[in-house]
Amino acid sequence: MKRRNRTTTPMAITEAELSTLTRDLDALHHDVGMPAMHEALGRWTEEIRTSRRGFLIGAGAVVGGAVLAACGTSSSSSTTTSTGGGARSTGAKLTGDLAVAALAASLENLAVAAYGDVLTAAAAGKLGTVPPAVATFVTTVKGQHAQHAQAWNSAIVAAGHAAVTGPDQALVPTVDTAFAKVTDVTGAAKLALTLEDIAAATYQSAVAAVTASSSVKVAASIQPVEMQHAAILNFVLGQYPVPNAFSPLTGARTPADYRG
Amino acid sequence: MDHPQLDGRIPAHDPMPDLDRTAMALLMEESRDVHRDAMSATAGALDDLVDATGPSVQEAAGRAGPAESVARREAARRRVTFGGGILAAAGVVAALDAVASSPAFAASSPDIQILQTAASIEVLAVATYTTALTLPFIGGASANPVVKAFVTTTMQQHKEHLSAFNAAVTRLGGTAQTNPDPALAKVVQAAVPGLTGPAPVVALALELEQGAAETYVADTAALSDATSRKLTASVMGVEAQHASVLLAVQALLAADAPQLIALPPDVTGLPAAAGSVGFPAAFFPTDMARPSTEGALR
Repeated sequence: MKRRNRTTTPMAITEAELSTLTRDLDALHHDVGMPAMHEALGRWTEEIRTSRRGFLIGAGAVVGGAVLAACGTSSSSSTTTSTGGGARSTGAKLTGDLAVAALAASLENLAVAAYGDVLTAAAAGKLGTVPPAVATFVTTVKGQHAQHAQAWNSAIVAAGHAAVTGPDQALVPTVDTAFAKVTDVTGAAKLALTLEDIAAATYQSAVAAVTASSSVKVAASIQPVEMQHAAILNFVLGQYPVPNAFSPLTGARTPADYRG
Repeated sequence: MDHPQLDGRIPAHDPMPDLDRTAMALLMEESRDVHRDAMSATAGALDDLVDATGPSVQEAAGRAGPAESVARREAARRRVTFGGGILAAAGVVAALDAVASSPAFAASSPDIQILQTAASIEVLAVATYTTALTLPFIGGASANPVVKAFVTTTMQQHKEHLSAFNAAVTRLGGTAQTNPDPALAKVVQAAVPGLTGPAPVVALALELEQGAAETYVADTAALSDATSRKLTASVMGVEAQHASVLLAVQALLAADAPQLIALPPDVTGLPAAAGSVGFPAAFFPTDMARPSTEGALR
């Protein structure tokens, strides 16, 4: 049952040793979690390359850097800043699993931007005193969401489309409005919890929506991580960290909701 | 607690909209009956085991003074009880193996086997948490109230998972699994002698939760039945959350800061590294996933 090659160094008393464990867990993530996900992702992109039926050809909602750049200017908040790069934009509608991938990437981009805004606001002293654990949480989670976005985009790019580098435009106004009201760590945590809940529900929904086994694996490898983010946020907010025996689909986004 | 209604009513936010909830409710009620019977049988076997080991426990306690004797006897009884639960469960598995070799038990479909294995993991989780609550430092007066509440709630959530998985098994025409995963039962059994304080119990629970979550992540891609896949997807993240909480608790215990295991927490007092200890991987691994047939009835 013990994970192979896992160093289970127990936490010690000092902060330095706590940090050591964190690095150990990070190494574990690279040793174990990443290869498993990359294997699924590699299989998926290979399927895309070898059989483009149902993935590449379509028309309708355009996903591509140029379009994302055009859509990403609806607000003054940095959350809405879209940095699409349109070199590979095909102008074709992403369908099937790739449409889900585009939606997921846009959600991840939104999360990265939102956590980035929190860090910026914290550095500017706009959130009051920020406990060290909260700062670590925000930094680490932001990095994980960036990795999620990168994973989805690797499949999109493999299919010949431009990476989705902007946030989910349908949610941007809501997030901007909410963030404008955030004045402390508690408010930031509540907003983050909303985003994590939406992301987790979306991935749970995606597990049933995608068709390729490899894309199911990618979605399934991310949903529990978003749920873990939510658990810690609930804990920080003084709420029970595992409130549901079955994770809900409340707030799940679908490809039909996607606006680039 | 917000979870799918078990009485056939559709909740406001339906996690499994394709489910026939009336039929599901009936199946789950049947499953609960089976579960109650199984737990009752396990409890009976457990009592027998405690009685059988009584003399050695009393002998050990007899070497202490009166007050210490009572305390040690109680502690020894609890240790035996905890181990006994697993041993009793293992006995049931042995009996099950004999029954499963009968021609009446044909090989089930892959989906049924996956779901039976999931149920077997839940059986073990329920048994482990139930017995853990009998330990004074988990469920007794000396327990951290947050840890006690977590164990109590988590046990209940695993019961609901067990019912749901077995309902899915029977919906597909299989037989409900009411015995623990045999391989994991051995892991628990091996851990029993060392369960002398909160930390080893948390470590054991973490191992079970991580294994369950990884199994369900793997199962989600392996299942062909859409409803079963949705169900499993709705459980995997919850087990991951259990693991997350246990990672955090484990870290605070190891840091000799049990006072920080509180709800609401003293966020300002938490060490910086505690902010990321609950989610060590950006992508949930599956290398500890249990084989899909491990807990299946044959």
